[in-house]
Amino acid sequence: MSDATRTRIGALDIVATVSVVFALVFAIASPRIESQGEAARLLFVHVPTIWLAYLAFAVTFVASILYLATRRLRWDHVAGASAEIGVVFTTVAIIGGMVWGKATWNVYWTWDARLTLTAIMLFVYIGYLALRRVIAEPEARARRSAVLGIVGLVQLIPVHFSVTWWRTLHQTNTFRPRDIQMDGPILAALLVSVAAFTVVYAALLRHRVRLEGLELAAYAAAAAPVGPVAGDAVSAPNIGNSGAQP
Amino acid sequence: MIRRYWKFLVPAVLAVGLLIVLLINLSSNLVYFQTPTELLTEIEPSENRLRLGGQVVAGTVVENGETLLLTVTDGRESAAVVHAGVIPQLFAEGQGVIVEGTWDGSTFHSDSMLIRHDEQYRTGDDVVYDSVEHQLDDS
Repeated sequence: MSDATRTRIGALDIVATVSVVFALVFAIASPRIESQGEAARLLFVHVPTIWLAYLAFAVTFVASILYLATRRLRWDHVAGASAEIGVVFTTVAIIGGMVWGKATWNVYWTWDARLTLTAIMLFVYIGYLALRRVIAEPEARARRSAVLGIVGLVQLIPVHFSVTWWRTLHQTNTFRPRDIQMDGPILAALLVSVAAFTVVYAALLRHRVRLEGLELAAYAAAAAPVGPVAGDAVSAPNIGNSGAQP
Repeated sequence: MIRRYWKFLVPAVLAVGLLIVLLINLSSNLVYFQTPTELLTEIEPSENRLRLGGQVVAGTVVENGETLLLTVTDGRESAAVVHAGVIPQLFAEGQGVIVEGTWDGSTFHSDSMLIRHDEQYRTGDDVVYDSVEHQLDDS
């Protein structure tokens, strides 16, 4: 492995790790959530992870538009990397939600509007990642996945407002304009956690975009002949013309 | 260049349109539970399973051997429930519950109970916090 391809731990990675530890301390130190008990501390993982999913898919959306506008592959790399992180954190949000659901609702999974739409969102973005693996040619891949990256974001609206639009098992939004149904100390711990997870997102995105750049370089190296091709030194036999040789 | 997008844009717009139509049509199925008011005014007694959601009325919970008798309300109407099954840990008077079972016209026979907690996250330390809403109003 050459020096240029080696992953280096940067300042951002250290800040991300420290802030997650910090957020954990806040989550443990936060007052008990009166109506639900200790299991409700999953709030400090559940909300930041789904926030990251929203953020990641929004970044994919913006980067996809920027790719189509500028045709710079760097934007395609940002879009792909961000969607990958979004899929990971949607999965974490669903798994965390299932554990929390069992503890409070008494069920891991049920087909209410919020849960169903979130699962659909996860599968659409898994499809987006699959699409990126189907097409090898970088320009075609970037163009086609950008379309899905833009259209895919529409889902976030029904996912987020499902609890308001339809009757669900999942409780309605705690954060409403000018009306937050959460006491100060819990809110403070939650905001610390959201901030910490956002730094983690930035750190992961940085590494993943860099890897995409390396993948592109590797693709270009494989596609273009760099040195002399084996057999180049052998000249074709001059059949049928041997008599003319001096 | 715009023309090359059509082959992607047209299916994409059609897909989004289809999704919106589906969501509008599915709206009735997206209702996870019925309220006591709907149960008493709209729903015919039958063997079909359905979900009923509401708050447990204080003072109505009676343990009766293997079953639990309770009344749930949506603030307007109340429905009597006979529950035979697991009782979730957070079950309490005043708590939101969703029971699943059948409606015979006078009693809801449930064998499955879920807790539907609210969206409020309050500390239990009896400190009255100035609500965020209030702070926003002042500014």
